[in-house]
Amino acid sequence: MGLTHGQVFVYTLMTVISILFLFVTNAYLFRMNFEDWRSVPIPSLLWVNTGSLVLASAGMAWAINGAKKSDLQTIKVGLAIGGLFAIVFVSGQTWAWQQLTTSGFFIAANPANTFFYLITALHALHVLGGMAAWFYVTLKTFKQDASILQPESIGLLGTYWHYMLLVWVMLFGLLLLT
Amino acid sequence: MYEGQALYHPKGWWTRYVFSQDHKVIALQYTCVALAIGLTGMFLSLIMRMQLGFPGLFESIDAGNYYQDVTMHGMIMVIYLLTALFLGGFGNYLIPLMLGSRDMAFPFVNMLSFWVYFLSVIILVCSFFVESGPTGAGWTLYPPQSILPGTPGADGAGILLMLGSLAVFIIAFTMGGLNYITTVLQSRAKGMNMMRMPLIIWCLFLATFLGLLAFPALLVGAIMLIFDRVLETSFFMPEIFKGGEVLNYGGGSPVLFQHLFWFFGHPEVYIIALPAFGIISELISCHARKNIFGYNMMVWALIAIAGIAFIVWAHHMYVAGMNPYLGFFFATTTLIIAVPTAIKVYNWVITLWNANIKMTVPMLYCLAFLITFLIGGLTGLFLGNVAVDVPLSDTYFVVGHFHMVMAVSPVLALYGGLYHWFPSVTGRMLDDRLGKIHFWITFVGTYLIYFPMHYIGFLGVPRRYYSNEQYDFIPQSVNDLNQFITICALIVGAAQFILLYNFVVSAVRGKEAGSNPWGACTLEWQTLESPPGHGNWGDKLPVVYRWPYDYGLPGATDDFVPQNVPDEQIT
Repeated sequence: MGLTHGQVFVYTLMTVISILFLFVTNAYLFRMNFEDWRSVPIPSLLWVNTGSLVLASAGMAWAINGAKKSDLQTIKVGLAIGGLFAIVFVSGQTWAWQQLTTSGFFIAANPANTFFYLITALHALHVLGGMAAWFYVTLKTFKQDASILQPESIGLLGTYWHYMLLVWVMLFGLLLLT
Repeated sequence: MYEGQALYHPKGWWTRYVFSQDHKVIALQYTCVALAIGLTGMFLSLIMRMQLGFPGLFESIDAGNYYQDVTMHGMIMVIYLLTALFLGGFGNYLIPLMLGSRDMAFPFVNMLSFWVYFLSVIILVCSFFVESGPTGAGWTLYPPQSILPGTPGADGAGILLMLGSLAVFIIAFTMGGLNYITTVLQSRAKGMNMMRMPLIIWCLFLATFLGLLAFPALLVGAIMLIFDRVLETSFFMPEIFKGGEVLNYGGGSPVLFQHLFWFFGHPEVYIIALPAFGIISELISCHARKNIFGYNMMVWALIAIAGIAFIVWAHHMYVAGMNPYLGFFFATTTLIIAVPTAIKVYNWVITLWNANIKMTVPMLYCLAFLITFLIGGLTGLFLGNVAVDVPLSDTYFVVGHFHMVMAVSPVLALYGGLYHWFPSVTGRMLDDRLGKIHFWITFVGTYLIYFPMHYIGFLGVPRRYYSNEQYDFIPQSVNDLNQFITICALIVGAAQFILLYNFVVSAVRGKEAGSNPWGACTLEWQTLESPPGHGNWGDKLPVVYRWPYDYGLPGATDDFVPQNVPDEQIT
């Protein structure tokens, strides 16, 4: 198929994660038809968080570009931006949960609330999982000189970052539209 | 591993034997842990049988304990023994060797997957030691009962530890599964195209694919059930009155859990069955000295089974109250999946036709598999039909059916595989006489345990009942039969120690096997050293010239030609 080991691994992983979110979405759509469903007002902070994730993806794209041109400095900056804004995203999500709880939208009060917390938490967990891989790749990049670059690892990390953004856009869309 | 990838070399005792990245060591680790927890599961089943056969004999077995035994026995056997042993044990050992690779694509992730599996087993075992004891909700863990007081383990940590253990197992499985997919697609030896792979590799590959797509459903269900239990949310919990008092739940759907669980649960049984099929394919052709009949159709049948496995799940839910038209749909797909399965059975039988059958212990297990899988498969057809399933649902007919197809046949295949590949792992043969004694007691014994269950199921004897004594419709003969089954179970249980003894003694003092004692064509027997050393192939990776079933090739002197022998070297 002309794919590398890493590509097969990451693409299969993305398929598995997609199935997970598909099931959560399925359960969401099933549950929202029951008469006790009261939609959650989406905190505007979520738009800011979405922006953070876009910036994180942009940072990773920058890193990928740097890897293609064998420019270590660009890679380092791109990775740093990618990691930083992913952390900002996850922090923003926890802040949004706090805002909702303070406004009285407790997790068990209504199924819509529960799904909101579940969906955003599952996504944030997968972003954090990506951070583990980010940490490993970034450590290796910062420790080594320009002669030992890992274009494939950076490319795959970037792919995962873009994928997390895509999943978030779809989940955010689901929460907004329903 | 890919061309040019450096093989990891262990640096000391810990990285050689404990945190090993060698797939062969990891396979052994999986096998040992799975067999250990499996013995626990077997012990639990014997406790259940004591209650059913001799009710009241042991006062310590009360209804609560009984349900805890039922639940833990089921969960341990299905997930922690069979899935882990077939995929973690056989898969890890055979995939790189049979594909001509030095190791898995990602050895470090492979090592992690074992230790995360081990963690999941620890978490599960912890549930035996908490105050509430393990969960007694049945292996299907159906809400609302599974998280409500009255069910053992529900008002303590029992159910939470079970759900947590499952979540950790799924993470381990995902890591391992990604590795297998990558290795099969990327790390095959030169000349090994997909249609030259041994059938067991196809089976392991497709079982992994099934697991990667099915386990997320269980993960989602488990997480939601944890939320319902801990945070009093209502994913699955409807409005419930307890002693006139309404609980904090409301609006949830228990049937949603069933859909999520069985979307995982049905592919899970094929995750167990497919590697068993693969083992039988390898053993039958090798020990009958004949190429497997219809290799292409065997592959297509496997692909068909893997695909259709995703659209049959609600045959476990015919009596759940869902729309009868759905029942019709799922009954149709269930009957359709019987077709590729039957093709495989026919092909195995035709492989034996006019073959030079060697009645070795692995071959005995193959023949026993064919018989027991046939019975289990046929009773599955009864249960696959909605109208027939309605009176048989939740009776011993179901228990007899699933034990035949999930416990007896795959375990017979597993034992056959252990006898077959033991020489590869240890360089020594298992004792033949002990093997035959173990085989006959196990085969005849398990038949005598599970076949009668179909009859008591027909009478309407319900499954998961602690006691049958107070029901007028259950005649005394059922209790007599239960006694007989219990005695058989005790004998079969004791006989498994013959295998354990055989393992330990033969590993140390068994007859030396040589590099290829069975005369097999597949690559795992063609390594330079036997047992294979680290890196498997020495300096040069093998090159494959043929499919893995050139037994009895016309014109060849030997009755087998290994995969890495070119045509010009055939004598």
